[in-house]
Amino acid sequence: MALVALVFLAPVILMLLTSFKTSGEVLNPSTIIPHPWSLAGYAKVLKYSEESPMGLWLLNSLLVSTSVTFLVLLFSSMSAFAIARLRVKGAGKIITLIVVSMMIPGQLFLIPVYLILNWLRWLDTPLALIVPATAGGFGVFMLTQFMKSIPPSLEEAAVIDGCGLWRIYWEICLPLVAPAMATLGIFTFIGSWNDFLGPLVYMDSVRSYTLPVGIALYQSSYVSEYSLTLAASALGTAPLIVVFIILQKQIVASMATSGLKD
Amino acid sequence: MLAGLKAISNGAASSAKLHLNFWNGWTGPDGVAMLDVIREFNRENPDIEVSMQRMDWDTYYNKLMVSAMSHRGPEVFVIHASSLPRMVRAGFVADVSDLYGSKFGINKSDFEPKVLAPVQYGSKTVGLPLDVHPQGLYCDVDLFKKAGLTNPDGTIRPPRTGEEFIRDIKATQEIAANGDHDVWGFCWTMWRFNFMSLAPQFNGRYFDQNGNPDLANPGNVAALSFMGDLMNRQKLIPTPESSTGWTGFRQKKVAMVLEGVYMVGDLKTLDDFHPAAASVPQIGPNPGTLADSHCLCLRADLTGKEREAAERFVAFLSQHSIAWAKAGQVPARISIRSSPEFEALPIQYAFSKEVPFVSFPPKTPLLFEMTQEIDLAVEKVLRGRATAKEALDVANQNFTQVVLRDRQENAR
Amino acid sequence: MRSFGSQRFTSYLFLAPYGLSFLVFIVAPILVALSLAFTQLDLTSRVPSHLVGLDNFSEALHDPYFGQAAVATLRFTILIVPSLIVLAFGLAIGLQAMSFGRNAVRGLIFLPGMFNVVVASLIWRWFYDGEFGLFNFLLKKVGLPHAPWLSDKSWAMPSIVAMSLWWGLGGATIILFAALQQVPTHLYEAAMLDGATSRGLFANITLPQVRPVLLFVVVTSTIGGFQLFGQSFILTSGGPERSTTGLVMLIYDTAFHKYRLGYASAISWLLFAMIAAFVLLQFFGLRRSVD
Repeated sequence: MALVALVFLAPVILMLLTSFKTSGEVLNPSTIIPHPWSLAGYAKVLKYSEESPMGLWLLNSLLVSTSVTFLVLLFSSMSAFAIARLRVKGAGKIITLIVVSMMIPGQLFLIPVYLILNWLRWLDTPLALIVPATAGGFGVFMLTQFMKSIPPSLEEAAVIDGCGLWRIYWEICLPLVAPAMATLGIFTFIGSWNDFLGPLVYMDSVRSYTLPVGIALYQSSYVSEYSLTLAASALGTAPLIVVFIILQKQIVASMATSGLKD
Repeated sequence: MLAGLKAISNGAASSAKLHLNFWNGWTGPDGVAMLDVIREFNRENPDIEVSMQRMDWDTYYNKLMVSAMSHRGPEVFVIHASSLPRMVRAGFVADVSDLYGSKFGINKSDFEPKVLAPVQYGSKTVGLPLDVHPQGLYCDVDLFKKAGLTNPDGTIRPPRTGEEFIRDIKATQEIAANGDHDVWGFCWTMWRFNFMSLAPQFNGRYFDQNGNPDLANPGNVAALSFMGDLMNRQKLIPTPESSTGWTGFRQKKVAMVLEGVYMVGDLKTLDDFHPAAASVPQIGPNPGTLADSHCLCLRADLTGKEREAAERFVAFLSQHSIAWAKAGQVPARISIRSSPEFEALPIQYAFSKEVPFVSFPPKTPLLFEMTQEIDLAVEKVLRGRATAKEALDVANQNFTQVVLRDRQENAR
Repeated sequence: MRSFGSQRFTSYLFLAPYGLSFLVFIVAPILVALSLAFTQLDLTSRVPSHLVGLDNFSEALHDPYFGQAAVATLRFTILIVPSLIVLAFGLAIGLQAMSFGRNAVRGLIFLPGMFNVVVASLIWRWFYDGEFGLFNFLLKKVGLPHAPWLSDKSWAMPSIVAMSLWWGLGGATIILFAALQQVPTHLYEAAMLDGATSRGLFANITLPQVRPVLLFVVVTSTIGGFQLFGQSFILTSGGPERSTTGLVMLIYDTAFHKYRLGYASAISWLLFAMIAAFVLLQFFGLRRSVD
């Protein structure tokens, strides 16, 4: 398995090493280790200018991605609970509708959503990036399937004890799907972070951009300035890796207490 | 971070100024040069504040179109001469005829007729050309010297005719013992641009005098056949991968490439690589090459003070186009090209010599569809899967369908 | 668990927040997009938009580029979905079998997926480059000839699939691994006491238990496969000779370069029909313990 992991890791290491190469050397395959090492790419990216506020973009990305993740986790788990555990009337039809909505190509939504956001006056505000993202069916579908795998015995006990629906949801159901929740959280965060088309189209001013969109500004139209792009991408993806490592610990911790392994 | 907060508070304080948005696709170092010009304008015009937004050209045009449609667009923007027909038909580009004349001292006589032609629509003029960017020949000085292709004074001698071109390719290429090429004499860059640079030399064209597609005319066929022959029969060019030509050229593995003057920006990032530039060799009966142009345009619904401020800004950019030239462009205005400051920029100056015989892409709103067909045709020929005539015939058939459909839809 | 009587209303409340968002940002745009497919809406046309009935759909079905893109899309999907599922499942089982270092390995498998598609594709474009790329450089070093990774029609799509697997396996693996972790160990213990073989354990306990999640992964990766865009845009620009141009790229060109929104909408709905057909087959195939 360790060898397998290497296959996934190797290109990323290459990417990282290449980001330290000088502009002329960047595309030369015979030198893997940069020689000389150059921080030029990183320096250009980090050099603050009025026009490229890296700090602002980072804050925007953090705000948007954490909000989206929180809302998606909440809404999706509530909906999945209703569909999979409470078996509301019409649950089958609802989940079918949601899966069908996932099959519709995303481009179709771009312009109608733009018009709706314009009418709501949400364009160029964080709301334009946060709220539409909560409508995606991925989370609901995923948690529904995970919740279907849970044996109903634990909840039945709670019902006999006279627990209200919310308590059952919050104290029993959620902990049981904690690994899936953490996984969904990671996916949602990464998807929101890397969303490119949304911020570009729904935001007017440079200050409202998120990090990946801002970083794309460094891509010259005529030629790929690889060292710059790679440095910017490394910086732009680093926060994701940090979040992943933090959430990973959660997955391990919650699996130990999920009460399923006994 | 602190500077960011400062910028926000500055923004709030300056709301008394007239605010103009300027959008374009100059994401590289050329955009940085433009930023400096804008800063100077803002300094000299304290009642106006211009802020620039840039993104890659593809996304830029989409966003421009979408925002213009919902009346949220920028006041000033850039459109390529080749893209103007489509945008003008959409209806949001203003008539800027009064930018020319004594108001700002910008005269139409300061532009070649063919440079102005793309912005003229009947009696209306819809933009102000800022630059003309032709395709030209870049030569690696060291490889040329190594091959002995120099003048008595030590400068290199770029090829001027088709024979010289082929001769120089053979002279500069270096083939190792096992038959591999260590150095290629010439390599394609963007195939379509390469083709459209050669086609005018053979009197190629894309529409006939009645406005019907004529992609397979003899001139085009001749140019494309030359490309295919160079590649597949004479085997002087490596297997086609788009845009690798420039990469190889940067790494000194290719002696000559055809590219636009705007690549100067990329060259500036390399420390000791200083190629020479020349006109595209005259392979066909006439001199010729492809060129496009960045045109400054205003939003159609601008009035009063906004319009006046926008006009001032555009005129300022035009008057200061020498700064733009330094970023790697050829100014559209003859007077600025004749200045000693411009003549001191070797690559740009060499490219500017081509302006008398450049050809712009055809003035059609269906340029994207046309170039898609040309791309396919050129690719087929370069991969040796069709002759030039066959490929262009197919392209012409397909494009004719598109033109007919468009005419039918717009005839209602 | 069947009836909650007076709590039925509260049950629906759980669906409310998502439902509202869904109505406004999915259903409403879909209705708009649906009507668009029956109109001629060209943003750069002199003529105002008007209804054209089924013209857009008939144009698509007669358009050779549509057919070519449909084939390319199907080819990609058929290549990637089975390999993704099998490999991800294998990796997930492998992870479960590890006694230490599991988190690190899982993280490494997932690492490529954290980069956005543009960056990941750019790196692989350099790998695959014919003249100056890393793979051919390595091939040359061991005395093998250059491979036409992206320039030959029969190599290009598999090359894109390989890159997509590197990029996407992490996600599928993590989900399947979570599902494997959720299988109650007492089921395995009881079966082993009965003398079950490891193959028997897999077929009779593991598979049925993870079936709902497996279905989820199959369906979502199918949907994702049909929506191929970023990778071919960056790696091959849809070539060679448009052989890697999928339907989504066609839609993108039609909507955002030709500004023909009505026609683009019709193509999107045809794509939707293809996806729906495929997914329906998968539901019937893997149906059993889903409902």
